Amino acid sequence: MIEFQHISKLFGSTRAVYDFNLKINEGEVVALIGPSGCGKSTTLKMVNRLIDPTDGRILIHGENIRKQNKIDLRRSLGYVVQSIGLMPHMTLYENVSLIARVQKKPKHVVRRRVEELLDLVQLPFQKYKNSYPKQLSGGQQQRVGIARALMNDPDLLLMDEPFGALDPITKSQLHAEMKTLTQKLKKTILIVTHDMDEAFQLADRIVLMNQGQIVQVGTQREFVEEPRNEFVKEFLQSQLGGK
Amino acid sequence: MKSLMGLILILFSSFAQADTITIGSKNFTEQAILGEIMAQLIEEKTDLKVERKFFLGGTQFTFNAIQKGDIDIYPSYTGTAYIAILKQSQILPAHQTFLYVQKEYLKQFNLVWLKPFGFNNTYGFGVLKSNPRFQNIQTLSQIRSFANELKFGGPHEFLERPDGFSGLQKAYQLKFLEFVGLDPGLMYQAVVDGQVDVISAFTTDGRIQKFGIQLLEDDLNFFPPYFAAPLIRKSTLEKHPKLKGVLNLLAGRINDDLMMKMNHAVDLKSQPLEDVAQWFLVSEGLVAGSLPASKLNQRAKDFWNYALSQKDYVFSLTLEHLALVAIALFFAMLVGLPTGILLTRVDFLSGPIFALVNILQTIPSLALLGFLIPFLGIGKTPAIVALFLYALLPLVRNTYTGIKDVSPQLIEVSKGMGLTGFQTLRHVELPLALPTIMAGIRISTVIMVGTATLAALIGAGGLGDPIFRGISSVNHNLILLGAIPSALLAIVLDRFLLLVQKLVQKG
Repeated sequence: MIEFQHISKLFGSTRAVYDFNLKINEGEVVALIGPSGCGKSTTLKMVNRLIDPTDGRILIHGENIRKQNKIDLRRSLGYVVQSIGLMPHMTLYENVSLIARVQKKPKHVVRRRVEELLDLVQLPFQKYKNSYPKQLSGGQQQRVGIARALMNDPDLLLMDEPFGALDPITKSQLHAEMKTLTQKLKKTILIVTHDMDEAFQLADRIVLMNQGQIVQVGTQREFVEEPRNEFVKEFLQSQLGGK
Repeated sequence: MKSLMGLILILFSSFAQADTITIGSKNFTEQAILGEIMAQLIEEKTDLKVERKFFLGGTQFTFNAIQKGDIDIYPSYTGTAYIAILKQSQILPAHQTFLYVQKEYLKQFNLVWLKPFGFNNTYGFGVLKSNPRFQNIQTLSQIRSFANELKFGGPHEFLERPDGFSGLQKAYQLKFLEFVGLDPGLMYQAVVDGQVDVISAFTTDGRIQKFGIQLLEDDLNFFPPYFAAPLIRKSTLEKHPKLKGVLNLLAGRINDDLMMKMNHAVDLKSQPLEDVAQWFLVSEGLVAGSLPASKLNQRAKDFWNYALSQKDYVFSLTLEHLALVAIALFFAMLVGLPTGILLTRVDFLSGPIFALVNILQTIPSLALLGFLIPFLGIGKTPAIVALFLYALLPLVRNTYTGIKDVSPQLIEVSKGMGLTGFQTLRHVELPLALPTIMAGIRISTVIMVGTATLAALIGAGGLGDPIFRGISSVNHNLILLGAIPSALLAIVLDRFLLLVQKLVQKG
């Protein structure tokens, strides 16, 4: 469904991503992981064209995204970020429905969809529709962030360290919910994380990056049983060592 | 919004009156009384509408205004015309002076001198009666020996004019210690307080008696005769020929004593100009009606009674003031908000543009008003332009800062979910910047309400009018009459805008 072909990105003379190749199948959940500065976030942002690659191309459903209208492309994708990024001046209803309202979709359609989504993320519509973000806990806020990303029912969901700002308990709770959610929704999901545990829990496949390049791609079992090199071993150890 | 448009319409309709005569005056009481007398007489005897632009400024300012046609008529003095405008130096007898200025004004400026009112308001030299130094001194020549220990106070223009300070020192062969430039209204208080020793005083000034001032005679006839007469544009007279007959009804009717008495009533007894002018016209039988003659001798009223008696006047001034501010604010927002937004998008422009609006802000308001006169004349237009320029900085700066302060993460999320630049601005940046932008609007408004009082100096009216009249006539009631409503107006507008902000944020 999505294919990265020889993607490279230079910021000035700094190489953020280099010759990145990856194919993600329909309905697959893939985690991009690596130490900070490894280029995982940059790779993700090239999918919704917040950043354009210096070289190579990205295909979605076989189509080069560079040839698509940026705005249309972004509206067809879901986007969740670490800072959550809810609009402080909007109610939950307004936050979740923002993109649909901008697109001038019929009111009743928007309303039904918001009800559905708030239900899905377990925030009862009647109780929460008029709340402001600051009245919610961090975990609740991130659920709203996910609901917002799903507003246009995208095929592909991009998540940039979605649980990074949450405390460990809330985080593990959301992991469990997320797992259920992904199984229910059957969306293709590309998720950036620096937490191997999170990657193991949520992803079908894991892409470990270092210094802009892919080090290893594989399932949890493959990573644990056949780490490709010392870097992978050390990374796993540092992440899971305490467990 | 609707009421704002209403205000604009009212204001512009006042510009557009076809058969309107504009009467101006220089910045002291006698001038305004004469202006008001002429205004009431014209209103009584003709169908013309009269617009009053009193307390405009000094000689040069008022003279420019009549040349440009900003005003049609003002009371002028033969001596001032002879010396300051026509640059003559040889002192002639009164009648010859009048004939000379009449002839030259018509030839050089297309301005017509009508018949003089009758009194001669020349300069004398005021000293404090109770000061022992001036015992037995009657003339200016007599102070020559100790003039170098005396401070001389006079209006700023007295220092500039050839018939003023330097000429005087030369003619009398004396040298004062120092010249202190003072507003005409403040000179008397300054000599009473001992801040200056000698002042140039008008011989018809109502305050001479009140402040215990003794006039030293101009024994060398340094000053020419200063007979006052209506000065009118030739083109105005051609359009409305009957004005000549009407204004000449006033010829010779006001002698020195009567003028001093009327000045006294306004300056020291807080009588409104309008009442004093009406009293004069009625008692001369020039207009119908009756007014008790005691009007001029009433005691000064206390402030609240005075304010109450002037409430219609204050109300109309407040409206006028509000209109100046509202129109300037409207245009400042029209320009300032988009500019602020633009600067957040085109960052390299922000340096130069901020430098420009910052410089505008630092120009002293009086200088800015003065600077605009050659381009825009006097009246409401230059005042609005000046206010507009002052309002720009807070608006541009707060719009820019408000938008720049929106968290970059929110902007990235907005872009990432597929909002266009404009949609991000409309749904995210502007709503979040709104409190800062509204604060800018409130700052601008408060600045403008204050600055707009200065607009009275260039004939724009508003609440500065009584303030400047009050200053030039040492009349605290009159000052308060303008100052209190303008302070209240600033507070009320600030509160009102805060309320608007809260409503908008909820909505």
